[in-house]
Amino acid sequence: MRVESLELSNFRNYAALRFEPPEGACILVGPNAQGKSNVLEALALLALGKSFRAVRESDLIRFDAPLASVSARVRTRAGGATAGCVITRAGDGARKRFLRNGRSVRYGDFLGSITAVTFVPADLALVTGPASLRRRLLNAALSQLDRSYYHDLSAYVKLIEQKNAFLKSPDAGDRTLLTTYNAQIGQTGARLIGARTNYLRKLAHDARTAHARWVGGHDELEVRYLPSPPQEAQTPDAIRAALDDALARAAPGEIARRMALVGPHRDDIGLNLHGRSLARYGSQGQQRTAVLALKAAEYSLAYASAGEAPLLLLDDVLSELDEQRRHAFLASLAGFEQAFITATHLSDVALDTPHRVIRVQAGELIGDARHAIGA
Amino acid sequence: MDHLAGPLSALIGELEKLPTVGPKTAARLAFYLLSGSREDAQALADAIVAVKDKIRFCKRCFSLTEGDECSICLDARRDPTLICVVGEAKDVYAVERAMAFNGRYHVLGGLISPMEGIGVGQLHVKELLDRLGPENVKEVIIATNPNAEGESTALYLHRLIEPTGVKVTRLAYGLPIGGELDYADETTLARALEGRRAL
Ligand SMILES: Nc1ncnc2c1ncn2[C@@H]1O[C@H](COP(=O)(O)OP(=O)(O)O)[C@@H](O)[C@H]1O
Ligand SMILES: [Mg+2]
Ligand SMILES: [Zn+2]
Repeated sequence: MRVESLELSNFRNYAALRFEPPEGACILVGPNAQGKSNVLEALALLALGKSFRAVRESDLIRFDAPLASVSARVRTRAGGATAGCVITRAGDGARKRFLRNGRSVRYGDFLGSITAVTFVPADLALVTGPASLRRRLLNAALSQLDRSYYHDLSAYVKLIEQKNAFLKSPDAGDRTLLTTYNAQIGQTGARLIGARTNYLRKLAHDARTAHARWVGGHDELEVRYLPSPPQEAQTPDAIRAALDDALARAAPGEIARRMALVGPHRDDIGLNLHGRSLARYGSQGQQRTAVLALKAAEYSLAYASAGEAPLLLLDDVLSELDEQRRHAFLASLAGFEQAFITATHLSDVALDTPHRVIRVQAGELIGDARHAIGA
Repeated sequence: MDHLAGPLSALIGELEKLPTVGPKTAARLAFYLLSGSREDAQALADAIVAVKDKIRFCKRCFSLTEGDECSICLDARRDPTLICVVGEAKDVYAVERAMAFNGRYHVLGGLISPMEGIGVGQLHVKELLDRLGPENVKEVIIATNPNAEGESTALYLHRLIEPTGVKVTRLAYGLPIGGELDYADETTLARALEGRRAL
């Protein structure tokens, strides 16, 4: 798919922008704090329904403006469409409204308008960083693939917040309320685990394949789903039974520690090389290669499920890769249709495929014909 | 609003506190009231003060009433063995508008939400259980909102009441009448499928 035009109004440091991105790779270059990542953030907002940065939603609105809007015209295999998001200040926070073809739609119905795979500097710690990073990859990918996953995830997050608040409240001894929350968590959580089990089976396969292509057959990358509670169940009923059982057994510990200790909010992904933990024993180079294999696999799965290339959003990551890895990674993304790549220096990117360079300066985009190659 | 006469800007300020009323609407309403008769203004002011002075909670169902008990609880034609449980008093009026229910109500006064500091003890749950025996209740219909808190509250009440042998039911989730199938979101459709019934 490709974005034919992007319009921003009072979004971050863009007062008003109308941008018609080229096909293929579009490199946004410029010094720090000019608004390069903000463009990617706007596109990711349309794909994920939220920012890829951990921010308050009201931060997306240009300082002192009452509302921000992001709108894009996209062309997919299914035809043309517009997707938009309007963020309005409301009290201390903000309210979001989603539009499809000019009509207000609910968040769940909006997802899937645009699919994108984002790769941001924080992802470079996918192997060594906290489990929340690896869950974020799962949630971003699955929410775009499967609308019911998004609904289940938001319901689940809310249930865990309520259960945690309950366990910290003076009512924490009420076993009936605890079993009520656990019944709901068991039902919703089991669906999340089921979806993650299926997704990880495919992710593991594609990541192993990409990895083997880069390093040769000798170092096998092993990607394993580590659900909470640990289980091997594959059918929805068996997953549900295992989760219900673990929740019941965890109750005394949860009451003592006053927090929800079991369920997919504690899931992780195990990454091994030669059967050994990459996080613990891998070299920096091996860890980096595994990160790229995971992102390449995420991309190929998004491609397969949409039946066309998703948008590729690379924020300041290419400069972090040596030349060999950069080439191998980009080559593995079987024919992206459109990519948005940010960098502070053009030399950090050094693409040998057709691309266009756009300079970003204080919330304005300036096309640079001298650097255009085949665009 | 500093350039407005004191009483006028005070009225606008009060109106602005109302839900869904912004500064523009508040000003329009205030000027409208100012242009009307003194009697109309007095009648509105009296009506507002009267709800505060005279409206209380029904001591049986916690719906709103002028006396000790509400008109529904006092109505002998209504079936006392059927209780419809709702979150707020305004929900009673929503169900009544449908004119499809002939039992009594029980207003919880909110939904269970520990995040907002609302526990079971803050709601009229014990009072509901205390009604079941004396009123010879046969069925409790739970009509809490179809959101996360409404769902937890319904399941909780179900677990609490089930052992007493009283039948507990929940409003069915369905598709909006007059709507189109492809307009319904996935969750609504999935729930409507779960709650399907034989023709
Ligand atoms: N809500 C906002 N209103 C106005 N400017 C903002 C807002 N949020 C961020 N900015 C500005 O955006 C710039 C950072 O943009 P960003 O895209 O992250 O930069 P970079 O080009 O380094 O990727 C900073 O100058 C920051 O002050
Ligand atoms: Mg940046
Ligand atoms: Zn009453």
